[in-house]
Amino acid sequence: MLGALLYLRLTSLKNQLISRAKRLRQLKYLLGALVGGAYVYFLFFRNFGGAPGSRGAARTATTQALAALPSSEALAQTLPLIAAVSALLLLGIVILAWVIPSTTPGLRFTEAETAFLFPAPISRRALINCKLLSSQFSILFTSLFFTLISNRWTFLGGNALTHALGWWFVLSTLNLHFTGAALTLSRLVEGGVSPLRRRLSVLGGLAVVVGLTVAWVWRDLRAPDVEDFAGVAPFTSYLLGLLDHSVLGALLVPFKFVVGPFLAPDARTFLLSLAPALLVMVAHYSWILRMETSFEEASLAAAEKRSARLVSVREGKSVFASARTHARPSPFYLSSSGRPELAFLWKNLLSTATYFNLRVLATAAAIILVGSKWFLSGTTPDIRAARVVVGMISLTAGAYVLLLGPHLARQDLRGDMPHADILKTYPLRGWELLLGQILTPVAILTGLTWLCLLAAALTLQPTGRMAFPLTPSVRWLIALGIAALTPFVGALQLLILNGATIIFPAWFQSLRAVGPGGGIELMGQRLIFVFGQFIVILIALLPASLAAFALIFATQWLIGATAAIALATLVVLVVLAGEVWCALWWLGERFDRLDVSSELRP
Amino acid sequence: MIEVSGLTKRYGGFTAVRDLSLAVQPGEVLGLVGPNGAGKTSTLRCLAGIIPATAGNVRIAGRDICTDPVAAKRALAFFPDEPRLFDYLTIRQHLNFVARIYGVADHEAIAGPLLEELEIADKADQLPGELSRGMKQKLAIACGLLHRPSVMFFDEPLTGLDPLGIRRMKDSILKRAREGAAVILSSHLLHLLQEVCSHVLILKKGEKIAHGTLSEISAQFANGESGVSLEEIFIRATGGSEH
Repeated sequence: MLGALLYLRLTSLKNQLISRAKRLRQLKYLLGALVGGAYVYFLFFRNFGGAPGSRGAARTATTQALAALPSSEALAQTLPLIAAVSALLLLGIVILAWVIPSTTPGLRFTEAETAFLFPAPISRRALINCKLLSSQFSILFTSLFFTLISNRWTFLGGNALTHALGWWFVLSTLNLHFTGAALTLSRLVEGGVSPLRRRLSVLGGLAVVVGLTVAWVWRDLRAPDVEDFAGVAPFTSYLLGLLDHSVLGALLVPFKFVVGPFLAPDARTFLLSLAPALLVMVAHYSWILRMETSFEEASLAAAEKRSARLVSVREGKSVFASARTHARPSPFYLSSSGRPELAFLWKNLLSTATYFNLRVLATAAAIILVGSKWFLSGTTPDIRAARVVVGMISLTAGAYVLLLGPHLARQDLRGDMPHADILKTYPLRGWELLLGQILTPVAILTGLTWLCLLAAALTLQPTGRMAFPLTPSVRWLIALGIAALTPFVGALQLLILNGATIIFPAWFQSLRAVGPGGGIELMGQRLIFVFGQFIVILIALLPASLAAFALIFATQWLIGATAAIALATLVVLVVLAGEVWCALWWLGERFDRLDVSSELRP
Repeated sequence: MIEVSGLTKRYGGFTAVRDLSLAVQPGEVLGLVGPNGAGKTSTLRCLAGIIPATAGNVRIAGRDICTDPVAAKRALAFFPDEPRLFDYLTIRQHLNFVARIYGVADHEAIAGPLLEELEIADKADQLPGELSRGMKQKLAIACGLLHRPSVMFFDEPLTGLDPLGIRRMKDSILKRAREGAAVILSSHLLHLLQEVCSHVLILKKGEKIAHGTLSEISAQFANGESGVSLEEIFIRATGGSEH
């Protein structure tokens, strides 16, 4: 049985590597591999084997920055605390495994595995072993990847080998625990224990532990005072006192065993830590083998669900999106006549979360108005400082929404590309279809940006030297100007992303790959796309920005700052609207000529 | 109603359809048959304006699909083998959306009887995720029929339907043809051709091998024998292999 499993895994791996190597003959994968490889090299391997000082200024700066950090000896003193905190983290992960899982827990098999292995003459134990062994492939890969990341944590001591083995212990034990938990939960479900009851039991147990710890702290340990925060040593000592004793301390013991090999600073400690870590693993394994429960049905359901999710992701939907089970009421009345673009707005709004509507937008605006009124009435230094913080956060949030939002708001052609053949049968010009498709993300991003702008405009009230040029009227004019430009900037960004889908459909198709079909070449392709988008939006905004600056500079002396800003905003609006129209027309033509059958094949 | 002349479709160096000409009059149902990879789906997609033809002319209801695609598409409906539906729109919302796209003024008056005819009226407020494969197919058909197309293209229309669904689909195609629609359907199911199609066109490697009524095709490949089945005729016409 194990021989067959090894054959399956190794042959699949070999074929996957061969197909990956073969597809490098295509330019898109070759370029992706080069860029992805360079990225990985600079991220993880750049400093491997280089002579000190060989990279000049950058290395000097890094050395200086490191010198500013606490010394390795000081950090080494914190190792017991790191062990305790790591153990606490593992405990948290384990608790989540018992609280969060779905109503149909089961061992994770792929659909192909369930089709071939479940009807095969294989014992239940062999099936579990098969599952555990097959998960070792991904655990080994993940361990190596984590080792690359943790290799920089020199204060931990140890070396790449002990870190790799340490990660393997942590990941394997977690995997064993998840498997055991899945089997136990399957048995509980069989026994009629509802998910709510199970969660309440786990959370109840957790509450008892927390309660006992708090009671112990209250009785025996003093509350932290200023001296505990005076340095690394007293703070470490206080926290260790909290984590190393009582019920919590006892609970953390097996978890500390698990992280022991990874945190071992030298070879001797590493060897000594192996036995306890192995003990925990063996205990988990025997727990799994003793679980006499049928997991097949739950595993089948889980495999189907996972498969459906993979299909959904390949169709361009979010990996976090779950299949909707309830219909939504229409966002607005859609009559049979009128501009067809509105039909796409209506349709795509139906695909979004229910809270993306005008009522919620108006409510949020009202809350901001009322909240800022209270905020503005305060005159103490604390309130003034808080006002600045809120204003800056709002401004930053607005910029993020406008710049990164288009990547997340995908209720447009990117989401509908799998339906491209149906879209092309509609009696519409390409630009009409494209305009309709981007209306929903433009509306959502504009609404969110406006809220951020409103909060920023109400709370940011510059004082001192900035108070004169940024008078209230100028500030409001700037805010209104940005608000007016927001839909056009959003539309431009969305047109770039949708345009990439139309112009490079084969790239778009390959980027949908998830799971074993991915790899360094796809990571490189994504980097190229993001970089390309950044360049294109900069070029697109350049003419409007230059025109605005030139106008303000030239006219503010003649007509005043307020009128100059208003005039510049108007000109920028015209330029951006022209760009949006040109992009719509050109991309629409491209969509009309798009050969979906030849270009959408990955 | 459907006029095709010299249609050619190439993917790089591969020719999927070569110099195909045909005409389908109102009331006629043309069955497009051929082995796997013969170019049936490519042909249908070119005719529906989904993919551009490399060469040739396609006229739908008198409008050129290449130079006047919007007008041509107003007259046609394309039914893919797999229903392509929007996950988050109910049956009723699908019809509402399609009505706006095609500008169907009285869509509610048309949609009601259509849903009744297709027996999905009671599911009007359900999402595609709640529907069976057959019901999804029916919804795709309802969306296609809403604007009363005069030209219809069906790509493997019976895929995934149960026996009752198959009978209903055949009846529906015949009903539309009787009402004056020009229909082209591609299928591997020879009995469907016998029962529904007035004409048959056999494709192989993208080229037209035979075109005519069923009796004309039978006569062409029967070699004087009587009682030769359609299956035998198909095998003789295509040489019995994909290559």
